Amino acid sequence: MELIWQGIKSAFILIFSGNKEILGIILLTLKVSGIAVIISMAFGIPIGLLIGLNNFKSKRFVITIINTGMGLPPVAAGLFVSLMLWRSGPLGIIGIMYTPTAMIIAQVLIASPIIAGVTLAAVQQVNPKLKLQALSLGANRVQVLWILLKEAKLPALAAIMAGFGGVISEVGAVMMVGGNIKGQTRVLTTATVQNVRMGNFDVAIALVIILLILAFIVNIFLTLIQQRENMTWYQRFWK
Amino acid sequence: MVSKILEIIGLEKKYNSGFYLKVDHLVTEENRILVLIGPNGSGKSTLIRIINLLESPDSGSIYFNDKLITGNGVDKIMLRKEMSTVFQEPLLFNMSVYNNILMGLEFRGKKISGSKEIFDYLIDKLKIKNLLKRNPRSLSGGEQQRVALARALILEPKLLLLDEPLANIDQLSREELRNDLFDILRATGRSTIYVTHDRNEAMIIADFLAVINEGRIEQFGLKDEVFRKPASEFIAKFVGVETLVEGIVTECKDNVCRIKIDGSKNDIFAVSASSGQGTKVTVAIRPEDVILYNIEMNPGASSAMNSFMGEITEIQDLGIFKKVEMDCGFKLISFVTQNSIERLGLEPGKKVLSSIKASSVHILAGRALNADR
Repeated sequence: MELIWQGIKSAFILIFSGNKEILGIILLTLKVSGIAVIISMAFGIPIGLLIGLNNFKSKRFVITIINTGMGLPPVAAGLFVSLMLWRSGPLGIIGIMYTPTAMIIAQVLIASPIIAGVTLAAVQQVNPKLKLQALSLGANRVQVLWILLKEAKLPALAAIMAGFGGVISEVGAVMMVGGNIKGQTRVLTTATVQNVRMGNFDVAIALVIILLILAFIVNIFLTLIQQRENMTWYQRFWK
Repeated sequence: MVSKILEIIGLEKKYNSGFYLKVDHLVTEENRILVLIGPNGSGKSTLIRIINLLESPDSGSIYFNDKLITGNGVDKIMLRKEMSTVFQEPLLFNMSVYNNILMGLEFRGKKISGSKEIFDYLIDKLKIKNLLKRNPRSLSGGEQQRVALARALILEPKLLLLDEPLANIDQLSREELRNDLFDILRATGRSTIYVTHDRNEAMIIADFLAVINEGRIEQFGLKDEVFRKPASEFIAKFVGVETLVEGIVTECKDNVCRIKIDGSKNDIFAVSASSGQGTKVTVAIRPEDVILYNIEMNPGASSAMNSFMGEITEIQDLGIFKKVEMDCGFKLISFVTQNSIERLGLEPGKKVLSSIKASSVHILAGRALNADR
């Protein structure tokens, strides 16, 4: 118990001392996970929309694939990216193994199916008659997609939250393809693992607290956007 | 000269469920209101979706402004922009009422400035001026449908399609919205196809009436013609005929036929130019055409050819009217007001005299139509 209490105390000292190494780790974590989520949104949202709003023969099969992807073990994504980017691998020539770029690619593989899957579920919840209504008002195909995405924007934000939560907390894949190189590819999760291995529990606790705070800030921001419909600021904050 | 805005010829559409829509011929004239009336599941909404090009027919032709709009190579989006539809559900989007109203204009790349006059007129007539900033989710069903109507009407479509717009609204709001909507339709003179299963709505607003049942148009014509001269028993019942009796034509002279009613000593006189002697017919009488007299008050002579003595068997309250059911050797039904009930002292068991003009008795030609199907 003493160990935990001491760890928490040291964590707060570390957080508020403005440690440059910790700051660097935080910024890299936000950069890698932020870019990965943005790229995943660019893939996942249109894919989710197209599958959700159209009927085709193998729709169930495609949805099953996406649902499987949502549960993709991060180590599998890490292994796949490692195999691709390894020096002797198909994409080894570009030389990005053990770089933040490789970590972003691995995180995109993890987050895209999550965002596609949740978006798909979100648009399927939208009243299908709204599509008919939009068409009857003279909307073209793009306008129909846009208006239905706007209808599904609240659950679609949940997709982004789920995607961000999936990648910021992930350790296996980024460890594999990033290598946890100090000052280059070390992020909050990999740094936590390393410090636990070294017995530096105070640092590990500090890193986890920071990770939780980051996740909380990002999610509170997305939640506020999601819940702002028909609510006052006061209601938004306290609901 | 009145021109056609829409003409449907030989349209057919089959569904896997077994439902089969078949419209041989249907026409809508410009600036007129065609009411499509029929029971639930008769194909009214399906026909609206096909007219709005949201579904394609298997065969047949639809002409819109004399241009064929069915088949390949048709720019459906452009054509839909000439129409606008209000469905049974308001189907509003998750944005302010103001933005919802402007949605169709936005799809057309138009700005509110070009439609300011009609916008102001509609929000005033539909009483939604104070709702513009609200989200539709916070509105009642009636208010939502008012917004949906404004969204369709602001587009000033060449053809307005209203698919049971009042069906999902509570009674009180429905009557108020009905009056507002019908005022707008009369004032704007917009070409409209109005779908309903409510004959009162049809009676108030229709210029033309098409009765649809089980995917077929059973009768199409001017409203009065369909109401006064229904082509079949089904249509007669649907348009509010309460008395249907069978009999045989025994005599026809000067376009007035005498019909011997089955199982009764009474004869009915009906104006008819086409019924032959000895023909088995069904006679239809609208309840509002049956006039009742208190026999103790000496009604005196009348020009009505049909007079029947009968005994009141039941009086039902229908709100505005009371439905008086009598046994005159056949079941005869009359609608009267509460005032008449009190003035004549009508009650079950009381003997009354009823009279009906021969011109108000319609001989159905519908049995042959039914047999054809």
